[in-house]
Amino acid sequence: MGTTLDSLLLGFSVALQPAVLWYAFLGCLVGTLVGVLPGIGPLAGISILLPITFGLNATNAIVMLAGIYYGSQYGGSTTSILLRIPGEASSVMTCIDGNAMARKGRAGAALCIAAVGSFIAGTFGVIMLTLIAPPLATIALKFGPPEYTALLALGLIFLAYMSTSSLTRTLLMASLGLLLGCIGIDPLSGHFRYSFDIPELGDGIGIVPVAVGLFGLGEILSTPSHQVKGEVIRPKLRELWPNREEWRQSAMPIARGTVLGFLIGIIPGSAHIISSFLSYAVEKKVSKHPEEFGHGAVAGVAGPESANNAASTGAFVPMLALGIPTGPVTAVLIAALLVHGVPPGPSLVNDHPNVFWGFVASMYVGNLVLLAMNLPLVGLFVNLLRIPYAYLYPLIIMFCVIGVYEVNHSIVDVWIMLIMGVVGYALKKFGFDPAPLVLGLVIAPIFEMSLRQSLIMSDGNWLIFLQRPIALTLMIVCGVLLALSVKSMFSQRDWREKMAAETKE
Amino acid sequence: MTLRSDHVAGAAFVLFGIVVFALSGDLPFGNLSSPGAGMMPKLVIGLMILFGLALIANASTSQPFAAIAWDDGSHAMKVVVITAAAAASYQTLGFLLTMSLLVFILLIAIERQPLHYSAAYAIGLTGVAWWVFGKALKAPLETGILGF
Repeated sequence: MGTTLDSLLLGFSVALQPAVLWYAFLGCLVGTLVGVLPGIGPLAGISILLPITFGLNATNAIVMLAGIYYGSQYGGSTTSILLRIPGEASSVMTCIDGNAMARKGRAGAALCIAAVGSFIAGTFGVIMLTLIAPPLATIALKFGPPEYTALLALGLIFLAYMSTSSLTRTLLMASLGLLLGCIGIDPLSGHFRYSFDIPELGDGIGIVPVAVGLFGLGEILSTPSHQVKGEVIRPKLRELWPNREEWRQSAMPIARGTVLGFLIGIIPGSAHIISSFLSYAVEKKVSKHPEEFGHGAVAGVAGPESANNAASTGAFVPMLALGIPTGPVTAVLIAALLVHGVPPGPSLVNDHPNVFWGFVASMYVGNLVLLAMNLPLVGLFVNLLRIPYAYLYPLIIMFCVIGVYEVNHSIVDVWIMLIMGVVGYALKKFGFDPAPLVLGLVIAPIFEMSLRQSLIMSDGNWLIFLQRPIALTLMIVCGVLLALSVKSMFSQRDWREKMAAETKE
Repeated sequence: MTLRSDHVAGAAFVLFGIVVFALSGDLPFGNLSSPGAGMMPKLVIGLMILFGLALIANASTSQPFAAIAWDDGSHAMKVVVITAAAAASYQTLGFLLTMSLLVFILLIAIERQPLHYSAAYAIGLTGVAWWVFGKALKAPLETGILGF
């Protein structure tokens, strides 16, 4: 514990430097804007702005990008409450009761409860990250190729089990991502795979063009401006403070949402989305007045908003300690760290303590910045929501092109983004969630390398995954989850359908 | 039998898997003790075809293919064509000209906005982006053959 505190002090000495504070503030501000504006999710926002960080050092870059991520969770609630349009996917549940509260003249209270809940959840998440990540990284140092293979397989199976779409669809998307990740030169044999004599494809397909195409351009393609209409409710500043009864009603949902969100956040999948849905379902179930849900229940805002923020912080635990992304956003953040020559994973804490602890400490600061910024500036964000979408999306397309091109100065990347935009549009039409595709793309090289190394180590004996204690444990969990997944395929209603039904009722 | 969305999606993935498998002919699979460059892609293609078939098998619960709304298709197609034209001309025309034209044409051709508003917005926006990315953040932006 003493070592952790010393390390955290080192982190604060880094995070409180003016430059780091500035980038934390900038990240939180941009993240809030990304969350507020419908059409740009955190993933597209981070991907588009990734090239901006190339001129920064690793600490400033990761602090700014992480600020965008958790800032977008805060910002998403503003649009949901005032416009009844989710600024990003994890704010869907906040739309229901948040906007109903706003229509009853309690917009300010809903925004304040969402902000305070997000702050508490975010801070709890960072405390847990501080305590859990370093010991987890120490354990992970014992991992060899078989353990990593088992861990990545577990990640994929967890993703399939926890995903918001069906098991088959999630695995199909993950397979497509893994296949895209195989493009380029094979690192072990030097063979060119599917590069079609295009030199740029020799290095493989980058995550940024794929993510921006699927989540940025794909969203714009399926959203004609005439479909984006909404009446913005403008809250008065003096109405921002909730009354005593509203505070009382929000206390336990915030506590439950925080713990639930953090636990779901460390599991692969669209954690911040699932956590808000699950929190809403839990709050409705434990409420003495479930009939109030859908008509402005305070718990329907406090729980999901806390859960999605805690989940975003929880996602940093496996990312920093194991170097494994739990979702597309953490995958892009890993790519950002790699660009700066800092490989995330077990060695990060020891090899780059300034980056690790500076980043952790900056999250404490970032949560304070967000709380201080979001409520007073709500008027500014309301004005932003009045920009017609017809003028907004050309700006987003321009940023998409600049962002993607600037990563490698490659026009091939822009073409890939365009193709992925069309793919994202088609996937949306057929009800596929593209997040597992991005995750598959990111883990493909690590997964393939560790699998092949394991097989070479064991002279082709598959039993190597069952002969080492850590790998065996992970494989057993894989087996249990697979069995549960298969069982849910044959049952009348799996947990997703039950949850959807509970939140609908 | 009603053609459902999962029939079409599943068939597309199976077909895609077969095409990629055909393209993987020269990649060596190797053996278990010495896996080749083709092992991972071929395993993944196999899984993709399997999941595609599973999607087709369970397609009865999905919506009818005819029920998918494509009313945003023309908007999507116009955006793709205009952005593709911008991508094709980006390295030739450079940042300032390409981006101004991209925004201007999107506003005029798709959104039917007034000409002078669109022109002012496109030029102003591109100018701000050029200053932010090119000057403040020192990102090297394409100058193109016109030299700006």
